[in-house]
Amino acid sequence: MGASLELDDIQAGALYERPSPYVGVYLLLCIRDRADGRELVRRLHRIVDPASTIGTADETSLTVAFTYHGLEALGVPQTSLDSFAPEFRQGMAARAEILGDTGASGPDQWEEPLGSTDVHVAIAVLSSDEARLHTVAEKARAAHAELPGIELIWRQDCYQLATGRTSFGFKDGIGQPAVEGSGRASTNPRERPLKAGEIILGYPDETGELPPMPAPEVLGRNGTYVVFRKLHTRVAAYRSYLRARSASRAEEDVLGAKIVGRWQSGAPLALAPDHDDPELGSDPHRNNDFAFGDDPRGFKCPVGAHARRANPRDALDQEGSVDVRLHRMIRRGTSYGPMLPEGVTEDDGIDRGIIFVFAGAHLRRQFEFVKTQWLNDGIFIGAPRESDPLVGPHDDSSSFTIPQRPIRRRLQDLPPFVVTRGGEYCFAPSLSALRWLAELDT
Amino acid sequence: MAAPDSGVTRPGLSVGPTSEFSLFFRVKDGQAPPLRAALLSLQDTPGYRPGDYGMAIQTIHEARFVLFDDDTRLAFITSFDGPWDAYMEDFFTSGPTLALFDAIFGHVEGYDGLPDVAAVRAFVLDAEQTAAAYARNYGGTVKEIRKSQRVNRAFQQVLDHAQAAEILEHPALRPLLDEAAD
Repeated sequence: MGASLELDDIQAGALYERPSPYVGVYLLLCIRDRADGRELVRRLHRIVDPASTIGTADETSLTVAFTYHGLEALGVPQTSLDSFAPEFRQGMAARAEILGDTGASGPDQWEEPLGSTDVHVAIAVLSSDEARLHTVAEKARAAHAELPGIELIWRQDCYQLATGRTSFGFKDGIGQPAVEGSGRASTNPRERPLKAGEIILGYPDETGELPPMPAPEVLGRNGTYVVFRKLHTRVAAYRSYLRARSASRAEEDVLGAKIVGRWQSGAPLALAPDHDDPELGSDPHRNNDFAFGDDPRGFKCPVGAHARRANPRDALDQEGSVDVRLHRMIRRGTSYGPMLPEGVTEDDGIDRGIIFVFAGAHLRRQFEFVKTQWLNDGIFIGAPRESDPLVGPHDDSSSFTIPQRPIRRRLQDLPPFVVTRGGEYCFAPSLSALRWLAELDT
Repeated sequence: MAAPDSGVTRPGLSVGPTSEFSLFFRVKDGQAPPLRAALLSLQDTPGYRPGDYGMAIQTIHEARFVLFDDDTRLAFITSFDGPWDAYMEDFFTSGPTLALFDAIFGHVEGYDGLPDVAAVRAFVLDAEQTAAAYARNYGGTVKEIRKSQRVNRAFQQVLDHAQAAEILEHPALRPLLDEAAD
């Protein structure tokens, strides 16, 4: 089953998780001249990596994606532009209210040029090795640097922190779904691989249907939607919040684990409810092999914990109104900025955070659903006044309930720990589609 | 292949976390008697039996099917926790709703049956009419209301304890004591 997934036509970055450890660079380009734009695409086509050539997650890969305005700048016919998902056509800034990107996270506060119509081409180069990253990044630079009609408008370097963890201190990148036909096994033996159409366009998805696909077929098939978001993490605020509510460092660790749903090592609360288990956290065969069904009230992992919200696994199976498999995604998040030194609780003013990257066939029912229904809201867990304690857009009265006997603990007045600096909805086309785009003669 | 999604969301009116959801259908010619029979047997299934409070879809507050205009029309009216439009695909890929749909909506116009999820989605969106007015007399999701009921049952048990009055004298229990008199 799924063996027909055309791996030699699909960009590796659209299907696979990122390497670990990693270094990388994200580039945004603006196409000022259509002919140069098509020449750029022709050159990028030669250096993107199809999924079939990537043997392991640790190999260097270059991924290229386009925004709606990018496809427009390349001269994609309007009928074709109109066939893209409406959320993609609108762009992330236009969806800000829905996504909860308001106030300090609002598009009027975003980093230039994020959210503007100048963002046309997004390139990501990720590698497990600095030298190889440099080699491939140099190819990407060569592809655009000598074209006067192409302007590099944004660059973001990323690298795994020395701790191997995010700026909040947690191991991440755990819990990717497997995709039928991708050749990669699931890290969660309890989760069947997703139908290919959940991630790659042109194949049946979990509903048994072909996802709505941009036309013509050569443009849409084997492509996927990509979301990137630059998320500033307020690490000092997070540490101060925990410190003010803990009597000891051990208690801070427990509160942090309850908020995230995993210990800093990556060990899931569902398997290690009482104390961290670094060996479990670093074991890819075990650290994703769990469910929540035996813990409906959340005594081990709170129902409102970040990881349980982002992927409730079997926790909602009895609801009769939710199919968790319709809300999975490939994530390729990376960290940027230096670590706030251990123990520091004063903000040092340095920008640090996460480049969140999503790949999937359905912007609305995957990325937007998870963001709006599971992270930003608490209706689904019967706590409408609670949002995700780590990444939710907390208002003044946000709280987080930690079930425990004899009496639950409730954290009050959670400030926002994550601020959106900007982002965009993109489309990562197949290699054939890149050729098609390069050869447009409109 | 499915048509591109129109992107039009029509979540209906909402009060707090709950949104109204009303569908209106035309009964197929000659299908009124079997539809009535299907609804009668629905009323005999778990969750719909008189006295039951456990519908398969646990995020709706209540559900009603109304035949009207001499059994030529059918209304399905409910209140859903959250924006129901976000859950459209979920409804059609989860078991209980599917079975319900096939049993009831096979008797109304426009339903071509499963498993064409895109067609069923279009069928539902076509039938949906947003309320002109919507109000609720209590707040809270189904989950919160069930929790409230469990808490009240527990509270009543405490009140039935011989030493309840004495125990509730503790200053920390004052809010409970205020609720204990009736």
